[in-house]
Amino acid sequence: MRVTESAPAQGRSSSEQERALADALGAVHDVELPAPKLSLDVARAASAIGDDELATRWALRVVDADDDYVSWNRAARLIAGLTAPPLPRVAARLALLGTGTTQYLTPLLRLAARRRGIDLAIWEAPFNTYRQVVLDPKSPLYDDEFDIVLLAPDDSAMSLPLFSEQPDAAVEAETERWARLWQTISDRTRARIVQCNIALPPRATFGHLGSRLRGSRQTMAQRLNLRLGELAGEQVSLIDCEGLAALVGKDRWFDDRYRLVAKQAVSLAALPLLARHTAAVVAAELGLAKKCVVVDLDNTLWGGEVGEVGIEGVALGNGPEGEAYSAFQDYLLELTEKGIVFAVCSKNDEELARSMFEHHPDMRLRLRDVAAFAVSWEPKTDGIRRIAESLDLGLDAMVFVDDNPAERELVRSHLPEVEVLTLPDDPAYFARSVADSLLFETGSYTSEDARRVDSYRGRAQSIQLERSATSLDDFYRELDMQAVVAPFDDFHLPRIAQLVGKTNQFNLTTRRHSLATLRDFMEDPSTVTMFARLEDRFTDHGLVAVLIAARHGSILDIDTCLMSCRVIGRTLEHTMLDELVHQATRIGCTTIRGTYLPTDRNGLVADLYRRLGFRPLGATDEATSWELDIGDRPTNEFIGVRTTEKPGVRDVTP
Amino acid sequence: MSLHDRLEAVFQDVFDDETIVLRDTTTASDIEDWDSLAHITLMYGIESHFGIQFTANEFAEFTNVGDLKQSLVDKGCR
Repeated sequence: MRVTESAPAQGRSSSEQERALADALGAVHDVELPAPKLSLDVARAASAIGDDELATRWALRVVDADDDYVSWNRAARLIAGLTAPPLPRVAARLALLGTGTTQYLTPLLRLAARRRGIDLAIWEAPFNTYRQVVLDPKSPLYDDEFDIVLLAPDDSAMSLPLFSEQPDAAVEAETERWARLWQTISDRTRARIVQCNIALPPRATFGHLGSRLRGSRQTMAQRLNLRLGELAGEQVSLIDCEGLAALVGKDRWFDDRYRLVAKQAVSLAALPLLARHTAAVVAAELGLAKKCVVVDLDNTLWGGEVGEVGIEGVALGNGPEGEAYSAFQDYLLELTEKGIVFAVCSKNDEELARSMFEHHPDMRLRLRDVAAFAVSWEPKTDGIRRIAESLDLGLDAMVFVDDNPAERELVRSHLPEVEVLTLPDDPAYFARSVADSLLFETGSYTSEDARRVDSYRGRAQSIQLERSATSLDDFYRELDMQAVVAPFDDFHLPRIAQLVGKTNQFNLTTRRHSLATLRDFMEDPSTVTMFARLEDRFTDHGLVAVLIAARHGSILDIDTCLMSCRVIGRTLEHTMLDELVHQATRIGCTTIRGTYLPTDRNGLVADLYRRLGFRPLGATDEATSWELDIGDRPTNEFIGVRTTEKPGVRDVTP
Repeated sequence: MSLHDRLEAVFQDVFDDETIVLRDTTTASDIEDWDSLAHITLMYGIESHFGIQFTANEFAEFTNVGDLKQSLVDKGCR
């Protein structure tokens, strides 16, 4: 292939090639789902230096980006041209029997199959010979041990008149024709038969009238599709091409010019979609369907953070946003009904999360639907691992659904076996995004499936987590976090007041100071005030932490220390303390004192001062106090700090 | 980018070959992978890039890049 040969032919030195790869990787850095062209640039640069593994990985990302035919075709060619691409774990042989040209579909089908972990070898029957190939006992169809026989007819394969006086007989004769082919194939091979049903062209001659004529071609054709489904039963898998044509739009699916010039009934624009769906059905047949959906809570199952706004405050059930989350829950519930195991993995307060499932009136998913419940403040990679262990499922059977791109990246990079969905921003499209992934396409539905789900139901197992330090440190480094820490100013005061007014979980004293009081702190020379903004590779979290400390002689006493729960578990508290120590030294204090006032929401930080290296000073029912002597101490390596901020930078955090 | 350059970029994409240089006289025999199968893919690529449609007859008719460019100009591409 040109792809691999052309690079050296251009006389590029190896350092130039390395640089080209670095440039291409630079263009996709921080982009969760790059445009196909950019992914292909990386793939091509990687193949030029002989890194076939990297080239394959990036070429396959084209499949996830969109259904652009030219990009798919390039990605397929690129992988086909690699000398030693990594092979997926499953290999299968497929015989493709079409009524038209199959050469356009074949490379795309191989590409889509590889994306699903299948190395698919495809044999194409000669043009429009599907009947001969099946009926001739000496045909190549029976030479080879095929795993799958794919029958892919288009509407030209139907012989139904415009109108029939005996529509039942006409439909039955057409159905029989296919059923006899299925019978012959299954008599002669052990291959699984996969049959495309017939996409029906729009603009039937009889128009609307035809839909109430039992004998019209369009009504007969619809019944043919129904009959194919009935006869297929458990023996034959169907691909609903009629449904796919409707999904993409029949005027996009059908383009008669391709019939005329290339004997190609499906337009090239629709082929990637057909390839993806065919690969999903094949994957299901090969037992590669996903079995478990692992779902985050805040802003995934409902809007808002329950730890901050409480059970009454989340968006669920009412209004466009709340109804979008309800609809997503309905969809997930239906997935459980068809046999998919549902598990929860969230950084949250476990008790509060459970009571959402128990008490919120608009929750569609209840605890009885939850097979495993991994809710804690530890990394989600650990949670997912534990869920897999407790349900006795492989990581490669799991799909992770989370609204937070940083969590998705963590799971992608540390648990590559887990399929991670890129959720859209709008919850209205969450269900669609999960459905379009085709990861839960299953090959059968039996009473066994229903029973299996019942056996998981009601477990709602609590998953206890332990910290796995190595992966966590890597995660922090990969996040590339930067903080701005600065004293209160007029500009940020409203947002500071908002955080002071509403933060519940990571809040040591829960003192609800008014805006006026906060301003007094700001202007008082004996009070140290500071706020922090945090951003990482993916997101600017805005102003997320507030600290107020009053000076009493050589002691700096922390009045308020709080952090938005969206950045809990990011080490920002260490950076805040680093800055406080710095300020204390600057004004001549030698000791920092901290107080923890327990509430029913802030159990999360009961131990914070101990974790930060303070020593306990005393405890009553109402409070614990702590002290830290200022000395040499290591500073937080995971967050870069700027201590001043350009004036006028707007904080757009709601 | 001129129409010529844009067309060249489509060729490079479709044939996945950055080294392709188009001349008005370029024909299918000048580009290694330009067979009848790839021709349809090429037509599709040009249509989606320029947002135009060829007739089925035009699909088959183009003999060289000059013809192709003339047709694009006739369809209002620049």
